[in-house]
Amino acid sequence: MNDVSSAPHRPAAGARLLARLACSALLAFGAVQAQTAGPDLRERLAACAACHGERGEGVAGSTYYPHLAGKPAGYLIEQLQAFRDGRRHYWQMVWLTQYMDDAYIAEIAAYYAAQPPHTQAADVGAPALPAAVRERAEQLVHHGDAQAGLPACVACHGATLTGLEPAVPALVGLPQDYIVSQIGSWRDGTRRSKAPDCMAKIAAALSPADIRIVAQYLSHQSPGAHDEPAAAGSLMPPLACGDLPHAQVTP
Amino acid sequence: MIRRIALWSALITLPLLLLGAAAGGVLLLRQGGLAPYRVPSGGAITTAGDAAEGAYLARIGNCLTCHTVRGGTAFAGGRPFRTDYGTLYSTNLTPDPKTGLGDWSAEAFRHAMRHGVSRHGVLYPAFPYANFAHLTDADLDALFAYLRTLPPVEARPPPNDLRWPASWRGALVGWRMLHYRPAPLPPAPADAPPEWLRGRYLVDGLGHCAMCHGTRGAQGSLPAEGYLAGGRIPGQGWYAPPLDARQLARYDVDQLADYLVTGNGEHGAAYGSMAEVVYTSLRHLRADDARAMATYLKSVPAHGGEARPDTGRFLYAAAQPVANPHNGGRLYQDHCASCHGDGGEGRGRDYPPLRGAVSVTAPDPVNAVRLVLYGGMPPTTDGNPRPHSMPPFAGRLSNAEIAAIVTHIRRNWGEQDRPVSAADVAAYYGIRGD
Ligand code: HEC
Ligand code: HEC
Ligand code: HEC
Ligand code: HEC
Ligand code: HEC
Repeated sequence: MNDVSSAPHRPAAGARLLARLACSALLAFGAVQAQTAGPDLRERLAACAACHGERGEGVAGSTYYPHLAGKPAGYLIEQLQAFRDGRRHYWQMVWLTQYMDDAYIAEIAAYYAAQPPHTQAADVGAPALPAAVRERAEQLVHHGDAQAGLPACVACHGATLTGLEPAVPALVGLPQDYIVSQIGSWRDGTRRSKAPDCMAKIAAALSPADIRIVAQYLSHQSPGAHDEPAAAGSLMPPLACGDLPHAQVTP
Repeated sequence: MIRRIALWSALITLPLLLLGAAAGGVLLLRQGGLAPYRVPSGGAITTAGDAAEGAYLARIGNCLTCHTVRGGTAFAGGRPFRTDYGTLYSTNLTPDPKTGLGDWSAEAFRHAMRHGVSRHGVLYPAFPYANFAHLTDADLDALFAYLRTLPPVEARPPPNDLRWPASWRGALVGWRMLHYRPAPLPPAPADAPPEWLRGRYLVDGLGHCAMCHGTRGAQGSLPAEGYLAGGRIPGQGWYAPPLDARQLARYDVDQLADYLVTGNGEHGAAYGSMAEVVYTSLRHLRADDARAMATYLKSVPAHGGEARPDTGRFLYAAAQPVANPHNGGRLYQDHCASCHGDGGEGRGRDYPPLRGAVSVTAPDPVNAVRLVLYGGMPPTTDGNPRPHSMPPFAGRLSNAEIAAIVTHIRRNWGEQDRPVSAADVAAYYGIRGD
C-alpha cells in the first residue's frame, strides 16, 4: 500500500490545500490550526474506509453513504464536530467521533479535503428522468422558486454544484436517499448547522415532492472537468450561512 | 369468642410489629440513621475552597460528563441515565439560583455529596455519593468553590421517567435500608505508603471506579463483596472487568498509569464507557495521581481466589449453542490478522493484542461482539493524539461468521470455551449508543 504522499494527486494539490486552509482560517475557522494530514493517516482511518472508501471516494454501489473526498476542509470539520456534539445523529458516526478532539478532527478533515474530488454521479446506471421531472428540478436547482422564497441551489453550491470554499459541500455525487434524508433532518431539526442555519430555511421551503425530484436529479449529475469547490468569496450566498460572508438582502 | 380472637391476634401481631419495627430501626441505623435526612438549611454560601484545585477535582470526579447532555451547556444537567426502573436525569450544577446550586450553602453541598440527600429529597444512587462520601472537607469545599465560578445557567432537567415505586423518592429510604452501608475507608495497613493511600482515595472516592467495575447485587446495589469484582454495567451494553492484581498482572505500575491517562498501551486500548472515562476525565490526571491509582489498583487482592469467574452468570441468548458451519480461524486470518497479528499478539501501541485482552478473557462476550459489529476508535489523548481505528463488520460479515470469529479468539486466547452463537450476536446488535 502506498501512502498519501504518493497518492495520485493533481500537480498543485499541496498548494491548493494550503490556499484552502488559509481561506478557512481567514474566513471562519480562525480557531482551527492550519493542518496537513500526516502520511500514515490512511492506515489509521481504516474504520472510515469501510463506509467512505480509503480516500473518501465513496464505496461503490452504496445507496446511502456520502463521499468525503475533495469537500472543503472547513465543511468536514463542522460535520465531524456536529456528530460528536449532538448536532447530527447518525449513530455509527457518533460512535466513532464521540471521543475525538478538535486537532485530530482537523487533521482528518484536511486529509479528505486534499483527496481528488470524487464527483461521479451516484446513480450512473439509473434510467433518464422523465422530462417534466427534469424541468422542475432544473428550475429549482438553477433558478430557485421566488414564490416559495427559495434561492437557487447553485447560488451557494456553485454553478457546477461542486461546492464553495470553505463551508459549502458538493451536491453532485451524492446518493438520492442521502440527499432526501439530510433535507428531511433539517426539516425535523435533527441536523443543525452553524447558525444562522440557511439550509434549515431552504429545507423548510421545499415541498416533499420537490425534495424527491431535486434529490433524484442531483444524484444523476456529474460535473465534468471542473470538479473542485468554487474559490472562497467567488460567490455571495443570498442567505446568511454560519460565518460565510453573504449578500445583504433587503427585506 | 370474638374477644378471645382479638386478644390472641393482638398477642401474635404485637410482637411481630415490634420485631418489624426493631428490624427497621436496625436497618435504618445501618444506612446511617436519621442524620442523612436532616439537610442543613441556611449557612454561608461562600467557601474558602481552592477553586483551581476544584477544577481539577471536578475533572477526576467527572462531574461534567454526568451533568451535561451531549452538545448541551456544560454542567447544566439533563443527561439521561437508563436504569432497570426507567430513566432519570442529572441536575443543574451551575450557580443559578432558581434551577441550580445558586443559593446552596457549602454545608448543604457537603451534605448532598456525603449522604445523597438534598433539599430535593433522597437522591438516586446513579449519583455516586457512596464514593463522594470519602472526600475530605477541603476537597469538597474546593469543588464547591469551583462550581460557583461557573456562569449561572437557567436550565431544568426533564422530569424523571421512572416506574413506581422507584419514581417516589421516599422509596429510596427503603432501598438504602436494604442496600446502603456507609462506612469510612477501612484502616490502611500500617506500612501503606502515601502513594497507596492517595491512590485508594482517588479510586474509591472521586474516581468512583466501582460504579462500573463493581459487581452489582439485587436492585442495582453495590454490595461490599462485589468491590471492583467486575460485571455488566447497568443501562449500558458493556462489561467492565475486575480491577485487581490478577486482572492487571499484564501491566506494571508505570504501564497502568500510562493506560489511565492515554487510554492506550501495549496491553489494550480503551473503548466503550472506559473510552469516555479516559476522554472526559482520566487524561487530565496529574502524573503522580495516575501512578498512585495504578499502585493501589495493582494491590487489590485477586477476586475469587483461583476459581475462574462463572460464565453462566452472563446471559447468552442461546441456551444451547447450535453448531456453527463457519471456520472462525480462517475468518480471523482473512479479516483480523492484518492488525491483531496471526497469534493475536497485536502491534505495539497501534493495535491491541487479543491474547489476554479484556473482551477475550471476560466471562461476558458482549464487548468483543460489539467491537466486531461496530468497530472502534480509541479516545484522543496527549499520549495517543492520532489513534488507529478498527472497522465495523456489521453488514460485511454475517452474525454466524462473527459468532465463529469471536468464539475462536475467546477459546484460543481467553480460555473462554463457551461458544458464542449467531443469536447472541443478534441480541447484542440491538444495543445502540453509548
Ligand atoms: C458504518 C459506516 C460508517 C463509518 C464506519 C463511518 N462513516 Fe462517516 N458517515 C456514514 C454515514 C451513513 C454518513 C451520513 C450520516 C447522516 O445520515 O447524517 C456519514 C457522514 C460522514 C461525514 C459527513 C459527510 C457530509 O457530506 O456531510 C463525514 C465528514 C464522515 N462521515 C467522516 C467519517 C470518518 C472520519 C469516519 C472514520 C472515523 C467515518 N466517517 C466512519 C457512515 C459511516
Ligand atoms: C444560502 C446558501 C445555500 C443555498 C441557496 C443552498 N444551500 Fe445547501 N448547503 C449550504 C451550506 C452552507 C451547507 C453546509 C451546511 C452544514 O455545514 O451542515 C449546505 C449543505 C447542503 C446539503 C448537505 C450535503 C452533505 O454532504 O451532507 C444538501 C443535501 C444541500 N445543501 C442541498 C441543497 C439544495 C437541494 C439546495 C437548493 C434547493 C440548496 N442546498 C441550496 C448552503 C446553501
Ligand atoms: C455517574 C454520574 C454522576 C457523576 C460522576 C456525578 N454526578 Fe452528580 N448527580 C448525578 C445524578 C444522576 C444526579 C441526580 C440524582 C437525583 O435526581 O436523585 C446527581 C445529583 C447531584 C447533586 C444533587 C443536586 C440537587 O439539586 O439535589 C449534586 C450536588 C451533585 N450531583 C454534584 C456532583 C459533583 C460535584 C460531581 C463531581 C465530583 C458529580 N455530581 C458527579 C450523577 C452524577
Ligand atoms: C462508566 C463506566 C466505567 C467507569 C466509571 C470506569 N471504568 Fe474502567 N472500564 C470500563 C469498561 C467497560 C472497561 C472495558 C473496556 C476496555 O477495556 O476499554 C474498562 C476497562 C478498564 C481497564 C482495563 C483493564 C485491563 O485489564 O486492561 C482499567 C485499567 C480500568 N478500566 C480502570 C478504571 C479506573 C481506575 C476507573 C476509575 C477512575 C475506571 N476504570 C472507571 C468502564 C468504566
Ligand atoms: C484495521 C485494523 C483492525 C482490524 C482489521 C481489526 N481490528 Fe480489532 N481492533 C483494532 C483497534 C484499533 C482496536 C482498539 C479499538 C478501541 O479501543 O476502540 C481493536 C480492538 C479489538 C478488540 C478489543 C480488545 C480488547 O482490548 O478487549 C477485539 C476483541 C477486536 N479488536 C477483535 C477484532 C476482530 C475479531 C477482528 C476481525 C473480524 C478485528 N478486530 C479486526 C484494529 C483492528
